[in-house]
Amino acid sequence: MSNKTVLEARSVVKRFGAVTALGGVSFDLRAGEVHALCGENGAGKSTLIKLLAGVHPHGSYEGQLLVDGRPAEFRSTRDAERAGIAIIHQELALFPDMTVGENLFLGVFPQHYGRIDWDAVYAQSAATLADCGIQLDPAARVGDLGIGQQQLVEIARAVGRKPQVLVLDEPTAALSRHEIDTLLDLVRRLRGRGVACVFISHKLDEVFAIADRITVLRDGCAQGTLAAAATDAGEIIRRMVGRRIEDHFPRRQSTQGRTLLALHGVDVDPPNDGGIALRGIDLEVRAGAVLGIGGLMGAGRTELLMHLMGLWGKRRAGKVELDGQPFAARNPRDALAHGLAIVTEDRKRYGLVLPQGVAFNVSLSSLRSLRRGPFVDRNHEAARTRSIIEDLRIKAQNLEQPVGTLSGGNQQKVVLGKMLLTQPRVLLLDEPTRGIDVGAKLEVYELINRLTAAGQAIVLVSSELGELMGMSDRIVMLCEGRIGGTFDRAEATQERLLAAAMGRLGRAA
Amino acid sequence: MNRFATRELSMLVALVAIWAFFAWQEPVFLSARNLSLLSVELAVTAVLALGMLVVLLPGQIDLSAGSGVGLAGAVAAVLVFWHDVPAPVALLVATLGAVLVWSAMGALIAIERIPAFIMTLGGLLVFRGLHWLVIRNQTVPVVEGGSENIYSLLTTYYLPPAAGYVLAGLAVAAIVASALRARTRRLSHGFEVDDGELTFLKLFVLAQLVFLVVIVTNGYRGMPVALVILGLVAVLVHQLVTNTPFGRYLYAIGGNEEAAAVSGVPVRTTIIGAYALMGGIVALTGFMQTAYSGASTSTVGSLMELDAVAACVIGGTSLRGGRGTVLGVLFGALIMASLLNGMTLMAVSPEAKYIARGAVLALAVWLDLRLGKDR
Repeated sequence: MSNKTVLEARSVVKRFGAVTALGGVSFDLRAGEVHALCGENGAGKSTLIKLLAGVHPHGSYEGQLLVDGRPAEFRSTRDAERAGIAIIHQELALFPDMTVGENLFLGVFPQHYGRIDWDAVYAQSAATLADCGIQLDPAARVGDLGIGQQQLVEIARAVGRKPQVLVLDEPTAALSRHEIDTLLDLVRRLRGRGVACVFISHKLDEVFAIADRITVLRDGCAQGTLAAAATDAGEIIRRMVGRRIEDHFPRRQSTQGRTLLALHGVDVDPPNDGGIALRGIDLEVRAGAVLGIGGLMGAGRTELLMHLMGLWGKRRAGKVELDGQPFAARNPRDALAHGLAIVTEDRKRYGLVLPQGVAFNVSLSSLRSLRRGPFVDRNHEAARTRSIIEDLRIKAQNLEQPVGTLSGGNQQKVVLGKMLLTQPRVLLLDEPTRGIDVGAKLEVYELINRLTAAGQAIVLVSSELGELMGMSDRIVMLCEGRIGGTFDRAEATQERLLAAAMGRLGRAA
Repeated sequence: MNRFATRELSMLVALVAIWAFFAWQEPVFLSARNLSLLSVELAVTAVLALGMLVVLLPGQIDLSAGSGVGLAGAVAAVLVFWHDVPAPVALLVATLGAVLVWSAMGALIAIERIPAFIMTLGGLLVFRGLHWLVIRNQTVPVVEGGSENIYSLLTTYYLPPAAGYVLAGLAVAAIVASALRARTRRLSHGFEVDDGELTFLKLFVLAQLVFLVVIVTNGYRGMPVALVILGLVAVLVHQLVTNTPFGRYLYAIGGNEEAAAVSGVPVRTTIIGAYALMGGIVALTGFMQTAYSGASTSTVGSLMELDAVAACVIGGTSLRGGRGTVLGVLFGALIMASLLNGMTLMAVSPEAKYIARGAVLALAVWLDLRLGKDR
């Protein structure tokens, strides 16, 4: 490892509106090293690498970037590419109907008098793939490859451009064991040639297998850079969690009744277009209780809720009981009819009909119960919607204001209101406080208290450990589609939850 | 609200301009006889356009409508003229057949996920072929020469003058009553309402329009029954899309299909239902259009699907779904029907007619985008 610093960020600050994503982070990358970035969801890892890649252009942040010791002002991702920085994002950016070779050379095709020189494309593709140790036919159609192989193509494409710096954002999430080995070998080979790599992964095993140095981020601040050889997983987790000011979580526990929702050894296979398989899920929620579900990105939390609603995956084994009765939702309509309701994470995509009004959206799931004859009873509808609006304190000018013009918090309340109007027995909340202001958050927490006091059961999925610990009576941590650990409110600590989410329970706790 | 008014106003100006132009070029355009004919042509275009609205609202389309019009009319005509089936039975059979076929197309679109554009483009070709097959490339009248049946009367029966006035009176009374009820309801819920004077003015103008139509049509042969059919279909579709769960589902699916599904909207059933309804309306339009031509010929219905889509779009319906009203569609259909009627009077060549229709459609959409930008 040389000591030449190829890329450096000096006390960079990046704000999104009132939210500070990076609060003065310094980071340096040397030629021929693998530098891992660790941190919880939302710690600022992605923001930092987007800054390095020119996604957030110069001027949209404070602080300084230096390439080879000279100040760099990237106005776009192209500028960063020209400076030799290649990024492999979590989401693949390949063209499924083109061949591997076409994907590798798209935009930089070798040409001969304006015609693409296809012989050169495929000869050079084969050379690049061989160089990366990837066994793939350059003439194969990318869409016919598995997700893991596609990921390798993406990496080969970046490597083919001979970068000085290679950033890998969660590159192993979709890979099989064997493919992970291929990838780690490739990274070692590149390191041997003096390429500097930034490696982001939630899997600490991989981090320790490959990284020379590790920088931990927490809440947008660097928590120190450590030599991998001189530290261990426990230390890294402690730094990721740290001690922070506890938010105010007004959870009032209520008396718990009978079990309303129970899963016993549930296995779910993902649909053909991918996603994580759920294996051996056991959990139960009683009337009046909140079950928190945590886990890292891609652990299968949203998939689990979507499966319960009949929206995702195929159940292979195990059983689900709703109020003691075996239950398998065919579709959300079926689930709603059985008293199961969901507030989805992506409210604009799955929650709201944006051009329509508040009343239209709130009553959408309950129209059949609002009928008089064949018609929707407008008076009844208005009365019910009005009581929901007052109950949840939705700030709208009138019942017909398009929900697209409401604030995030009020939009979220509209989705909540729509589900409450169906009078569910079990309410599934997927990141109910994401992207809404503090006041609205507190109102959501108060609502959770009121609903449980009234005997409803709530499943709360959250990425914020504080929220999980503050609002749940019991917490299940998912890890790669399995249960990583189950905790009572009293025994949950941030360290233990995070260790469970990383599949290291018992080792780091 | 303001933008919306701008848009409606500009459409009204366009309509007045079109009428003024034709009246100037061919004074006979404003004769009672021609306006009566225009009202029948409007009825045929508008009924199909209202069906198209129901399909466009959930973000689908029906390109097979025009061919379907020809086929349904042909099936009924063949049953009546060649097989001596009583006209009511023939109409019923053809209607049921259309509803079944359109439901099947809807099922293929909603369940098998064949894009509506492709599915109905296939339907366009298949139905055109079947249409020609059914009439064996001949001209099939809808009734024996010199006599009448319910089929031929669809576009040739006119209400006696007195009946026209009674009907107009009833219609105005119904409109006023429902407007007042809606107003009271909105007030009781604290919604915005126009002030009383404006409401009165609107209703007054509307009532005058209704009676004007009766007076003008009575000036020829009386209120055409086709116009009454249009009125019934319009009220039905309006009630359906605004006041039933099915109608709400149409708007919800067009506005955000994924959110609609998560909210428990029966997306597939609703889309199939929309196509089933379209099948019924296609059959009805087929009977009216064929009756208007006097016989089923190989050109009946040709390109009517495009006039229907054009009427919807001119009337403010979004092709991506989720937006559109019955009133707007009626307005758009009136613009399209006026253009065609006026150009025919002026003996404009068919080539120029196509060009003018296309230009008006593009212009209307462009205007809609410009005027609707800030909405």
